[in-house]
Amino acid sequence: MAELTTTAPHAVRSAPRRRRWFRRNDIGPLEYSRKIWVQLFVGATFLMLYAPIITLVAYSFNDSRRNVVWKGFTFKYYIKAWNNDGLFEAFMNSITIAFMSTVISTILGAMVALLLWRFRFPGKAAYEGFMALPIVIPEICMGVAMLVFFARIGWPSGMPWPLNLSAITIAHIAFSFPFVAVVVRARMSGFNRELEEASKDLGASEWQTFWNVVFPFMKPGIVAGALLAFTLSLDDFVITFFTSGPDTVTFPVKVYSMVRFSVTPEVNAASTLLIVITVIATLFAMKFQAPDKGSAH
Amino acid sequence: MESWKTNRAVFWVLSLPGSFWLGFFFLTPLALIWILSFGEKTGIITIDITWTLENYIRALEPVYLEVVWKSIWISVLATVLCLALAYPMAFAISFAPGRWKPLLLMAVMLPFWINLLIRTYALIAVLRTRGYVNFTLEWFWEKADAVLTFIGLEQLELIGARFEPLPILYNNFAVIFGLVYVFMPFMVLPLYANIEKLDKSFLEASLDLGAGHWRTLRSVVVPLTMPGIVSGIILVFIPCLGSFLTPDLLGGTNAQMIGNVIERQFKAANDWPFGSALSFLLMYATFGALAIRSVLSGRQSGMEI
Amino acid sequence: MMKRPHSLLRPNRRNFLAGTGAFAVGVSLMPYGALSAEDKLLNFYNWDTYIGETTLADFGSATGIEAKMDLFADNDELFAKLKEGNPGYDVIVPTNDFVERMIEAGMLENIDHALIPNMSNLEPAFQDANFDPGRAHSVPYMWGTIGVGYRPSKVEGVPASWKWLYDSDAYAGKIALLGDGLTVIGHALKYLGYSLNSTSAAEIKQAEELIIANKKNIKVFADDNGQDLLLSNEVDITQEWNGDILQVMEEDDDISYVVPTEGGVLWQDCLCMPKGAPHPENAHAFMNFVLDAEVGAVIADYIQYATPNGAAKAIMDESYTKNPAIFPTDETLAKCEPSIYIGEAANRLYDEAWTRIQAA
Repeated sequence: MAELTTTAPHAVRSAPRRRRWFRRNDIGPLEYSRKIWVQLFVGATFLMLYAPIITLVAYSFNDSRRNVVWKGFTFKYYIKAWNNDGLFEAFMNSITIAFMSTVISTILGAMVALLLWRFRFPGKAAYEGFMALPIVIPEICMGVAMLVFFARIGWPSGMPWPLNLSAITIAHIAFSFPFVAVVVRARMSGFNRELEEASKDLGASEWQTFWNVVFPFMKPGIVAGALLAFTLSLDDFVITFFTSGPDTVTFPVKVYSMVRFSVTPEVNAASTLLIVITVIATLFAMKFQAPDKGSAH
Repeated sequence: MESWKTNRAVFWVLSLPGSFWLGFFFLTPLALIWILSFGEKTGIITIDITWTLENYIRALEPVYLEVVWKSIWISVLATVLCLALAYPMAFAISFAPGRWKPLLLMAVMLPFWINLLIRTYALIAVLRTRGYVNFTLEWFWEKADAVLTFIGLEQLELIGARFEPLPILYNNFAVIFGLVYVFMPFMVLPLYANIEKLDKSFLEASLDLGAGHWRTLRSVVVPLTMPGIVSGIILVFIPCLGSFLTPDLLGGTNAQMIGNVIERQFKAANDWPFGSALSFLLMYATFGALAIRSVLSGRQSGMEI
Repeated sequence: MMKRPHSLLRPNRRNFLAGTGAFAVGVSLMPYGALSAEDKLLNFYNWDTYIGETTLADFGSATGIEAKMDLFADNDELFAKLKEGNPGYDVIVPTNDFVERMIEAGMLENIDHALIPNMSNLEPAFQDANFDPGRAHSVPYMWGTIGVGYRPSKVEGVPASWKWLYDSDAYAGKIALLGDGLTVIGHALKYLGYSLNSTSAAEIKQAEELIIANKKNIKVFADDNGQDLLLSNEVDITQEWNGDILQVMEEDDDISYVVPTEGGVLWQDCLCMPKGAPHPENAHAFMNFVLDAEVGAVIADYIQYATPNGAAKAIMDESYTKNPAIFPTDETLAKCEPSIYIGEAANRLYDEAWTRIQAA
C-alpha cells in the first residue's frame, strides 16, 4: 500500500490535519481508484470485457470439433494450431503489418495533430474535414476503394516478404493515422501555449522546444494513439480482405474464413496463443520503457 | 495559434507527409469510388460512368431511409452506453497510482487485440440461451427456489414453475451490447488522454470550496474533459453507424443496419455504384452532423471538436 | 506472368524449425521437376474444411508443387475479390450459378481436358453441365442439397416440408433460416410451387410477403451457422446445407436432416481456373490429382459431401455411399432444382426484396 500514497501528493496536501501514521490507510479525496464504488464499477466492466475471453480460452481445451458442447479436456487443438502453417504465416503477417503501420501512423498522426494545434492557415476547416474522412467512411466502402485503387495502378504483387505486405500496410496507415491525430489533438488542446513561447524566448530552438517542452506533454496522447493504431491494424478485417492476395493473408482474414463455417477450438487455441504472445510482448515493452515512466506526467 | 506564415519551414515539415499520404493513398481511391457512384451497371462486371443521379435517388427510397433511421438510434444508444461505461473507467485509470496506469490501460486494450469475429463468437457463447449469463441466472433461480421450498412458499410460484432463460441473443439488445463491447476502447482512449492531463488542483479547489464529488464531477470535470468526450463520441458513433458484422452475427431477423445494406451491394447484390452512393450519402450525413455541431459550439470544425 | 520468388524471410515455421535446406533438397528430388517451366507453386482459393487433411501435402509429394490454400467464406466474397482482376489465384471453387456468372463475365480460363485424363473418373451425369456446356471452364468437385436440419425430440414427426419454416407457428421462436437472400427467397418460392430461380417480380413479391408474415416466428437469419444453433439448442429446426448438418449429427444423435417434399436447391461446387492464373499447368495437374479415385475418396470421406467422382465412390464405405443425407434418393433428387444464374436485373429484385424483408 505504501506506493499508493507516495504517488498521491494531493491527498497529503488536502488532509494536513491527519496524524502521520494514520495516513497510510486513509483514502484521500482524490484517490478515486481506492474508493470501493469505483473499484466495483471498474471490476464489473472488466468482468464484462473478460467473460467472453475466458470462455474463449476455456473452449480452446474442448475436445469437440465445435464450440458448443463441452466434451472433455485436450491440448490437441494447440498442436493443430501450431502445426497449421497458414495460420502461423497469417499471424506473422498481422504482427508485421501492425508494427509497421503503428510506427508510421503514430508519426504522421502526431505531426498532423501538431500542425492543427499550432497553425492557422487558409482552408484549415476543409483540411480538418478531409482528415476526418477515414474515420467517417464505412469500412466496406474504403475496402472496395483500396481494391480498385491497387488494381488500377497495378501495384506489384508477389514481391518477397515483407514487401508483399506493403499494400495492406499502406491502407492500414491511411485509416489509422487520422485516429491518432484525433487522440493527440484532444490531448494538445489542454497545453499551455505560453510554455512553448517561454521556451523559445529563452533561446531554445524549434527542435529543443518540441523535444523538451511539447513532446513530454504529448506523450500520453501519443501512447494512447499508438495503442489505438495498433489495435485498429491488428483487428482490421474488412479493408484487409480487399487488399490481400494469396500470399498476404492476415490473421483476421484467415480466421474469418475459418469461423464462418464453424468456430472450431483450433481458432480458439490460435487466439489464445495470440493473446499470450501479445501480453508477453507488451509486458516486455513496458519493462524496457519503465525508467522514464515518471516523465509522462 | 500562429499563422502558418510565421514559420513556413515548420509548417511544411508538419503538413507535407500527412497530406501526401491522405491525398495519394486515401483521397485518390475514394475519388475512384465517388466516380463509381455516378455510374450505371451495364453488365456483370462492367460499369459505365454516365454521371447519372439514379443511384442517389434510389438511396432516398423510404425503405433505405428507414434502415438509416434504425441504424442511427441503435448507434446513439450504443454510444451513450459506451460513454457511461468508459468514463468511470478512464477516470479510474487516470487516478490510479502511476505504476498501475499502463497495466490498466493494457487490460482495457487487450480484448481488442483478439479478432473482432472471435470476440463476437465468444460473446455469443456468453449470451445465448444456453450461455453463461443464463446459466448464472438459472443457478440463482435454483437457489431461490430451494429457499422458497424450504420456507414453504413453493405453492405460490413466485418465480415461476421452472426457469425461463432470458432471450438476450438475436435481438436489438444483443446488437447494442455487441457494439458497446466492440467499440469500448475508442471511447476509453481519448477520455483517458483527456482526463489524464486534467489539472488535479481544480478538483481540489472545488472539493475544498465545499462542492461534493458529484457536483465537482458535473461542474468541473465533465466541462474540462469535454474535448475528450466529444472525440470519444465521434470515434464510437461513426463506426457504429457503418458496422455490419455485429448486427449480422448478434441480431435477430430485423437487425439489418445500413452497413449491412452497403456490404450487400458490394458483395451479393454486385451493385457497386449503388453501394458507393449509399456510402457517400452516409458520409455526407455524418459530415453534416459534424458541421452543425461545430457551428453550434462556435468552434472551427472537424478534428478538434 | 507473375513471379513469386520464395523469400527466405517469409515467415514459415518450416523455415524456423527445420531450416530451408531439407526443403530445397526435397523439391529437387520431386518427379516432373524438369518438365515444367513454371514455379512449383499453386495458389488454391477454397472454402474452409473443404479438402482432405493431407491432400495438399500429398499433392506436393506426388508432383513437387507446393500448394498453398487461402480461404473464402462465400461465393459473393469470391466474386467481389476477383472482380477487379485476379490477385494471383490458380484454382478457385465457385458454385454452379457463380460458375455461370463468371463465365459470362469472362472471368474464367478455358480448361484443357487433355491435361486432365482423370476426367473419365467422373460419373456420366457430371461429364457435362448445363451451366458450362462441354465442361469448358469447370471440373465438378462436390455436390449437395439444402434442406431442413432438425431435432427429432423437439419436432413432431419428420418436418418434410418448407411449411414448418415458412408458414407455420408450430415452432415459433425456434426457427433459423439462412442469411442469404437468394437462398431464403428461393426456397419460399419453392414452397409456393414456383421455380427456385424465378425472375418474376410478382412471384418474388409473393415470397417476400410470405416470409414477412412469418418473421415473428423466425429467430434468426443464420449466417451459415444454423448447425451450431441446432447443436446448442438455440433453435429446433433450421435451413442448412446437408454437409453442415451431417457434421453435427456426428456429435449429437438427436439431430437429423431431411430434404422437404417441395424440393430444395441442388448445387454443385466446381474447380475453376480464374483468368490470369499464374500457374495454369500446375492448376491442371491439381485438378487431375483431385479427380484421382483414391485421392477423391480420401477427400470425400473427410468432408462428407457427395462426390461426382464415380471411381472414388466405388472404393468407399457403404456408410458414405448409402447415407441418405449425402446421397438423396432419386425421387428426392427429382424434386430438387439446380440453381442457375438469374441475371443482374433479377438479382437486384431479390436484393431489394431481401432488404425489405429484414427492414419489416
